[in-house]
Amino acid sequence: MAIFNLKKREIECKVVYYGPGRCGKTTNLEYVFKSYKKQVTGEMVSINTEGDRTLFFDFLPIGLGKIKGCDIRVQLYTVPGQVKYSSTRKLVLRGVDGIVFVADSLEVRREKNMISLKDLQSNLKEYGKSIFKVPLIMQYNKRDLADEGIPLMSIEQMERDLNRQLKVPSFPGSAMKGTGVGVTLKACLMETLKSLQREFKWAK
Amino acid sequence: MNESVALSGSLGFLSLGDIIQLLGSSGSTGVLRLINRYAPDPGFIYFIEGNPINAQNGDIDGLDALYSLFGWVNGSFEFTREAILADKRITKSRMGIILEGMKLLDDGHIKKVGPATSTDKAAEMKRLLSKTAIVKGPLVDYMYVVDEEDFFDGEHIVEEGKHGSWIWVILEGVVDIVKEVESGTIPIIRIGDGSFIGSMASFLLQGHIRTATAVAVGNVQLGVLDSQRLAQEYAGMSLEFRTFLTSLDKRLKQLTERIVEYHNGNVQTADILKDKKVLIRQAKTEEEQLYVVKQGRASVVRNTENGPVVLCHLYKGDFFGDVPFLHLGQEPEGASIYGSENIKIAKIEAVSLHKEYNRLSTTFKNIVDNMATCMSVTADIVCNSLASKKAETVDTNSRQGK
Repeated sequence: MAIFNLKKREIECKVVYYGPGRCGKTTNLEYVFKSYKKQVTGEMVSINTEGDRTLFFDFLPIGLGKIKGCDIRVQLYTVPGQVKYSSTRKLVLRGVDGIVFVADSLEVRREKNMISLKDLQSNLKEYGKSIFKVPLIMQYNKRDLADEGIPLMSIEQMERDLNRQLKVPSFPGSAMKGTGVGVTLKACLMETLKSLQREFKWAK
Repeated sequence: MNESVALSGSLGFLSLGDIIQLLGSSGSTGVLRLINRYAPDPGFIYFIEGNPINAQNGDIDGLDALYSLFGWVNGSFEFTREAILADKRITKSRMGIILEGMKLLDDGHIKKVGPATSTDKAAEMKRLLSKTAIVKGPLVDYMYVVDEEDFFDGEHIVEEGKHGSWIWVILEGVVDIVKEVESGTIPIIRIGDGSFIGSMASFLLQGHIRTATAVAVGNVQLGVLDSQRLAQEYAGMSLEFRTFLTSLDKRLKQLTERIVEYHNGNVQTADILKDKKVLIRQAKTEEEQLYVVKQGRASVVRNTENGPVVLCHLYKGDFFGDVPFLHLGQEPEGASIYGSENIKIAKIEAVSLHKEYNRLSTTFKNIVDNMATCMSVTADIVCNSLASKKAETVDTNSRQGK
């Protein structure tokens, strides 16, 4: 649930990048941080966790309009994949408004993707959320590696593996090169705001 | 409570990370005081316009102190609004502190300050009891659960010698039952889902003193049982059945104490068995009668490879023999009964007890069954502890069975 900061007339919402270790969550966020510098407020917080890095920064999306005259501030997070980082995960996932699931296109990571998605589902459940209801976007990352002859899964296969039941919007991407990063974030923000707006209507 | 307190609550509900976020988004200035009953001094964090600028935990201050406070996973907090004069020692961003703090906690670099005294011992316990089986019970009947309580790894659920008449059922997790003696902690038994903490003695007016300590292994969820309802059920039972239950409970207590005695190595079996006659011989299965001791004393003794092991003593009013509806793992199949010279016994109709047992509520039946299982397992542990004690004396270097 988004936080209403009446002092600053802001609505703070939380978008979390989830996915298996080394799938490119951090790279996604780093790209956003670099290329949308003007919209980023405050510094990027980077924490080295085992085998991965956890990132956080504030983001002010432009052109998404206002809700009830309040600006929208988005907190972007990545979440550490390892099981032992439960405190961090709990903190990050609590009250999450939108999720980007970054899947690894490498053939060898097929199972890791599925395990991570299952993991997301059970984690969300712990905080009383359903993976089917939370605004969720898929990104099939590392598409550029096909050019280097590394075996990748086809988009169709990944859709079948991960998105058959969820049926959420999905985008191919290459976080290293920056392709697909913007659209993914934008789609996620749109979904998040739509769902927030739905909530407000109920509240009326 | 102080009037200037603007926000207070429990750290178990709202963690330090959450509190800092909350104070951050409201841009508050003031002092956050954390109180943990396991820490000698309260912890302080000073905020100016939502950002932590200094902290203090005992002797340390600054960022290190702030990180160390993330280890206070339970306790209480209160935030007071006041002008801050403290030096600005912390410049790191709020979110950076929170994420780093959480990470350090998960990495184990921050010591969790809960029941700090038992953390070292708990590790040792885990090693000791890892080989022991976990006693589990049947599915929990939620009709009798009035409340749920959570305990964290190493926390003491009940402590030996303390008062209390609650009975809990373990909904999820594992609990070690231990005895505290001068030389340290002696593990008794490890129990899991569906097992009960607390004994029949809880229903007796005078029996509110805990006889052992229960320690959570990992996180444990307990259900508090409706003790009034159980006590009512107990009060409605026949005198015979009630004495039968207390007799079983006494046995279990004796078995527990026996482990402590064997642990200290001060039991002379030979003396106890002198001048005793055999009433029931071990492994004679045709014995299907239940008796009550009317006078004198009887002993339950198991014959093992290492010689006879005295499990417990029976006195006037205690039962022995074959209980058709419970598996106690003792006489007749697993132990013999020796009687003193002057012993007088009487036969008991097991049928009426059996009928009464069948009429029990599910929860009560589970408690009785669980008690029987615990008796059976504890008896095995008594014998094993004797065996390992012997092994220890043979090989003094061996640390087995400590």
